[in-house]
Amino acid sequence: MSGGDIRVTLQPFGTVFHMPAGHSLADHLIVHGVEFPCGGRGRCRGCRVRVLEGSLQETPADSAQLKSGELRAGWRLACQARPESDVTIELRQWTALILADDTEFPFIPGEGLGIAVDVGTTTLVAQILDLSSARILGTETALNPQARFGADVMSRIGASADSASAGRMRTVVRDAIAGMVTKLCSRVQAKSRVVRASIVGNTAMHHFFLGFPLEPLAAYPFTPKHLEGVDLTGSELGWTGPAASASARFLPNLGGFVGSDILGVILATGLHRAAAGTAAGGADLGTNGEIIFTSRGAITVASTAAGPAFEGARISQGMRAAPGAIDRVVIEEGKMVAHVIGGMEAGGICGSGLVDAVACGLEAGLIEPSGLLPAGKLPVRGEVALTRQDIREVQLAKGAIAAGIVILMREMGIVEADLAAFHLAGAFGNSLDIGNSRRIGLLSFPADKVKPAGNAALLGAKMTLFMPDGGRKACEDIISRVRHVSLETSPDFQDLFAEKMAFPEGG
Amino acid sequence: MADLETLKKAVEAGKRKDAEAAATAALAAGVAPGDLVSKALIPAMASVGEKFQKGEAFVPEMLVSAKAMKAAMEIIRPKLVGTSYQPLGKIIIGTVRGDLHDIGKNLVKMMMEGAGFEVVDLGVNVEPEKFVEAVKQHSPQVLAMSALLTTTMLSMPETIKALKGAGLREKVKVIIGGAPITDSFSKEIGADGYKPDAFSAATLAKELVGKK
Repeated sequence: MSGGDIRVTLQPFGTVFHMPAGHSLADHLIVHGVEFPCGGRGRCRGCRVRVLEGSLQETPADSAQLKSGELRAGWRLACQARPESDVTIELRQWTALILADDTEFPFIPGEGLGIAVDVGTTTLVAQILDLSSARILGTETALNPQARFGADVMSRIGASADSASAGRMRTVVRDAIAGMVTKLCSRVQAKSRVVRASIVGNTAMHHFFLGFPLEPLAAYPFTPKHLEGVDLTGSELGWTGPAASASARFLPNLGGFVGSDILGVILATGLHRAAAGTAAGGADLGTNGEIIFTSRGAITVASTAAGPAFEGARISQGMRAAPGAIDRVVIEEGKMVAHVIGGMEAGGICGSGLVDAVACGLEAGLIEPSGLLPAGKLPVRGEVALTRQDIREVQLAKGAIAAGIVILMREMGIVEADLAAFHLAGAFGNSLDIGNSRRIGLLSFPADKVKPAGNAALLGAKMTLFMPDGGRKACEDIISRVRHVSLETSPDFQDLFAEKMAFPEGG
Repeated sequence: MADLETLKKAVEAGKRKDAEAAATAALAAGVAPGDLVSKALIPAMASVGEKFQKGEAFVPEMLVSAKAMKAAMEIIRPKLVGTSYQPLGKIIIGTVRGDLHDIGKNLVKMMMEGAGFEVVDLGVNVEPEKFVEAVKQHSPQVLAMSALLTTTMLSMPETIKALKGAGLREKVKVIIGGAPITDSFSKEIGADGYKPDAFSAATLAKELVGKK
């Protein structure tokens, strides 16, 4: 341990790591799966931790977000914390109920352990929970190994045209998840059984995982034959030890490419319980850019296939949100100042940093509203710069999402004033700066209506672990009210897409 | 000439009403309709296409310029009858079976019209048989196929095979494009060419019909 390093212990499972004194605690917690719903800006309570041993200074953001009783009990916002000496902390996300503060659901304590899995196109996330207390005991994340067959869903579908390749797709993802489950069980030294598991993912992930043929999703009209949820045992999935006898369920799809991950988002954000007379919406800004709107009890969903630009792909120096990624950019004294996760040299730029950099470029007049970058390059920090083509990729991705939002709202007869809330789910949605997303024309909703929702898909999966029927009834109810809209066939889409590619004028 | 310059600038800037007004004024002033096409509209679209290729203009700019050119052509076209103006050739274009993407295909169509071709657009989700029928019916110099999905590009070799079966392969040049398409795929399936953007696709079409 070098001079100046301190020791941080994370409870409840005793993880220990070292970091330089005075550095940002948040950067070190990201790799442990901790979520920062407002992107670490001190504007919410989602990252709060409780000091068990040692101390963390009280910051202005702490005083603003936390009650005095909480502050006295040792709660602090992890995003603001810069520990100067050894400290032991308890993570709120893994100790309190697994829900956002205000969501209610019939939580029936059970016995044993539960597992929730989010099979993302790009990232796999699995968590293990104590069913008697709803405490999260461990988190594992991994890149989806299917990625070697293509970053996007269509490439993977194309690569799995024959049954051997399709089998390979199924095997690699099942093996990866089985490995994560083994790690989770050993981490918590599981003494009781894993009783049940809920798995969510988009329709393509569902089909790959369950071995359904992908042809219907390969071409127009992209109508999957298999929307149903499927029950399997842990051992059928290659899970061993305490997880072998788990009753696992891959939840049902909603339509088209929109799968059970969005079902999870709806459950977690409570969109299906929007009060009568109100409308609400949400988006999961991952690779597939799914959008949801609800009004008068009806729910509409669509996927925009926005592309992985916001996850760092197709950007010349794009990368995922990991140490070395520029994740935030601001203008200070007329210059761009970038924050790098982990505080090291900038190795690339991730989705939230990309949105910030483009917004700053627009504000500084370096990028024109048409998207032209006259200088040819937009330096952000160190060796990391955006190219003309990067700006165009952002225009394509945000144009698709913005156009999709307009079309869905038209379909539902909703105008902005009707919206009570717009929930942003997905790791990218998490750290997005709302003001900058408005500046580049990705979203047009006022900041106070946009609610960061974290990994809502995973949260929804976790919620079903505590429902008496594994969530079957709740899911069926939602599915009966959901209508899937195919954006490609909308006659307005092309013109709207082109219109939404431009950046808004400043002012 | 001032009238030609005004029309050219209006199309480059994507100003539809200005383009219509400039075309009307030029015709009234006695400018040859063929000159309006070859000396104003075509150079305007070529300049927009070059900017697009260089990254200086993007999809929205191409679309509004193409709309302006189309609007001007509506006014000029009736006057072309009886003149010696000839399009460079005829091209059939479509997005292949199972695929709905048409923005890219439409941009190519605009650049080809902008280069002076007559273009028959079969739309999206076009079966191989429909391409073959259209080639029979219209006798084009070029057949252009677009696919945006790795899963749908496989109907391109099917279409080429169908053309051979109908004895039409030698009668038409086949060019292909779209995000998953590559030069090697084009060679592999026996197409006559592939280009990665709308402007160079139009240039390739010109070369294939023997014009520069």
